[in-house]
Amino acid sequence: MKLLIVEDQAKTGQYLSQGLSEAGFATELASDGDTGQHLALSGDHDLLILDVMLPGRNGWQILQAVRQAGLDTPVLFLTARDAVEDRVHGLELGADDYLVKPFAFSELLARVRSLLRRGASASQDTCLALADLRLDLIRRRAERAGQRIDLTAKEFALLELLLRRQGEVLPKSLIASQVWDMNFDSDTNVIEVAIRRLRLKIDDSHATKLIHTVRGMGYVLEERHD
Amino acid sequence: MRRLSLGSRLALLFAACTAAVSLGAGLLFNRASEQHFVELDQQLLSGRLSLMSSLLAGVATQEQLATRLPALLNELSHQSDLALRVRGADGEPWFASRGELPQAPTPTGLATLHSHGVDYRSLSAPLIDGQPASPQLTLFLDITHHQHFLQGMQRLIWLTVGLSALATALLGAWAVRRGLKPLRQMGKVAASVTAGSLTTRLPAAEMPEELAELAGTVNAMLQRLDDAFQRLSAFSADIAHELRTPLSNLLTHTQVTLTRPRSLEEYREALHGNLEELQWMAQLVNDMLYLAKADHGLLMPSRQALDLATEADALLEYYAPLAEDAEVHLLREGQAHAKGDRHMLRRALSNLLDNALRFTPAGGEIRVSLQPGLRIVVANTGPAIAPQLLERLFDRFYRADPARQEGSSEHAGLGLAITRSIVQAHGGKIRAECEDGWTRFVIDLPE
Repeated sequence: MKLLIVEDQAKTGQYLSQGLSEAGFATELASDGDTGQHLALSGDHDLLILDVMLPGRNGWQILQAVRQAGLDTPVLFLTARDAVEDRVHGLELGADDYLVKPFAFSELLARVRSLLRRGASASQDTCLALADLRLDLIRRRAERAGQRIDLTAKEFALLELLLRRQGEVLPKSLIASQVWDMNFDSDTNVIEVAIRRLRLKIDDSHATKLIHTVRGMGYVLEERHD
Repeated sequence: MRRLSLGSRLALLFAACTAAVSLGAGLLFNRASEQHFVELDQQLLSGRLSLMSSLLAGVATQEQLATRLPALLNELSHQSDLALRVRGADGEPWFASRGELPQAPTPTGLATLHSHGVDYRSLSAPLIDGQPASPQLTLFLDITHHQHFLQGMQRLIWLTVGLSALATALLGAWAVRRGLKPLRQMGKVAASVTAGSLTTRLPAAEMPEELAELAGTVNAMLQRLDDAFQRLSAFSADIAHELRTPLSNLLTHTQVTLTRPRSLEEYREALHGNLEELQWMAQLVNDMLYLAKADHGLLMPSRQALDLATEADALLEYYAPLAEDAEVHLLREGQAHAKGDRHMLRRALSNLLDNALRFTPAGGEIRVSLQPGLRIVVANTGPAIAPQLLERLFDRFYRADPARQEGSSEHAGLGLAITRSIVQAHGGKIRAECEDGWTRFVIDLPE
């Protein structure tokens, strides 16, 4: 997976590039609009991350050029401005997502993965599993090591999200948005409590823990051998 | 082109009005006098003409006329401005008492004629009444003095028009200047307003009725500007103040960490500490930008039909784990529908529930009541809040609990301010009240 980052702030570009590389993506970094557009039109990227305000040509112009060239590469906009018109303008031009600075890197990473997955056909899994944890999506049943676990509807949805995106760090904001449809930053610790309750049912009576807290970033479901 | 001042315009208008009125009056008077003269002339001429006719009664030829001439001339000599001409039935001039009479054949009846620089009024009649073939008598009256009088009067009229227009223009200009004095005063006050003196007000009570309203409007504008300016100043100060603590923490923590080599675990711990401060600051900045957008009227809620019961239930479900932990009972009652922005209203209610959860003691209850018409009440049991503090709950950075330290990582004190902004963006109102052991946040939305 190769990503193009067009960002004129040297530090921002460098950190994004480093973070995404370490998350397993090949990245290419351009620091002005013209270079960015030139690279974007080569068509060998799976995702474009564009800053709106750029020297040369702005992010919207690059997006227009890319779409006119018939490329449907997903595009994620980064912007310091959060005006509704901007958002609407970007989405009208064919942007796929929009992040306003300051944003958390974990949030960006989660969005990048969502966008890259969007291209792949939605999985028709009937059953999700990790280690000895199994989730039967049709009968709405969860079990660990063959033992049935009773989950509330929201707990089931939360576990399904963690399982579908196992190995990914999911920020609290993304969990709130995906499971409870709460699309705003909130400083409550609702998600912490919900995760703690899920842990109580999934992990507490087992030696191998599956739900892990990544401090300051979010939560991840994975099997760790250490 | 420079536009005329209000004073000049009014003065010119006054002058034009006076000129028109005096001109009209003058013309009317002129015409009436002329009419009056004509009537006088007619009376005089017809009286004299019938006298002449009786003197000449029976005259049929020029010879017969000659015998009557002495009496005729005697009669005419009494009045020097009268002249007589007699023509035969065939139009042959038999006699004229004056040489330079108008030669044109005078029609029967009254006429005004002009000859050799003299104006005449003439009246003609046949000598024998009702018989056009009889000798024709024409009596002329010299009306030069009338004409002189009329011309004099016309000059007087024009003079009056001109002088009165000039006088009203000057008087009008003076009056307008005096009358518009309050306007100039307003201008002076307005010119003296600066960011530092937004408390200046116009004396609306001393203004004339027409200007009092304008002065009131200007005062209201100044009041709004003053409020906004105060808020902005306080807000900037608050922002700096709020950011100072986490920034100071970050600086200290980072510098202390770097003073000597440390273990990997210690570095990781230091970064985590910094991350928490930074996340708190990012949240604060985002919240403040949201409020700034609201202040600039940029929060534009969509208007989708919402079942508020569904929305409230979703929120209660979201908060259920937290409430169970805190041993607080959550409850929704009533039904209501509204048109509004789902995400914004969820955020507004979420902040209220979050706030309620902070202050409800274990074993307490939080109740969301929906009333059609349209009211949303979020009530919680808990300690009473002093009445004077209730309104301040919605102020930015206000924390009801003074023990809660600024910069404490969990709460910036902007939640209720954001809720109020969202409610106001929907055209609604929010207030807090406290009674019978319940704290209530009451949102009234337009239907």
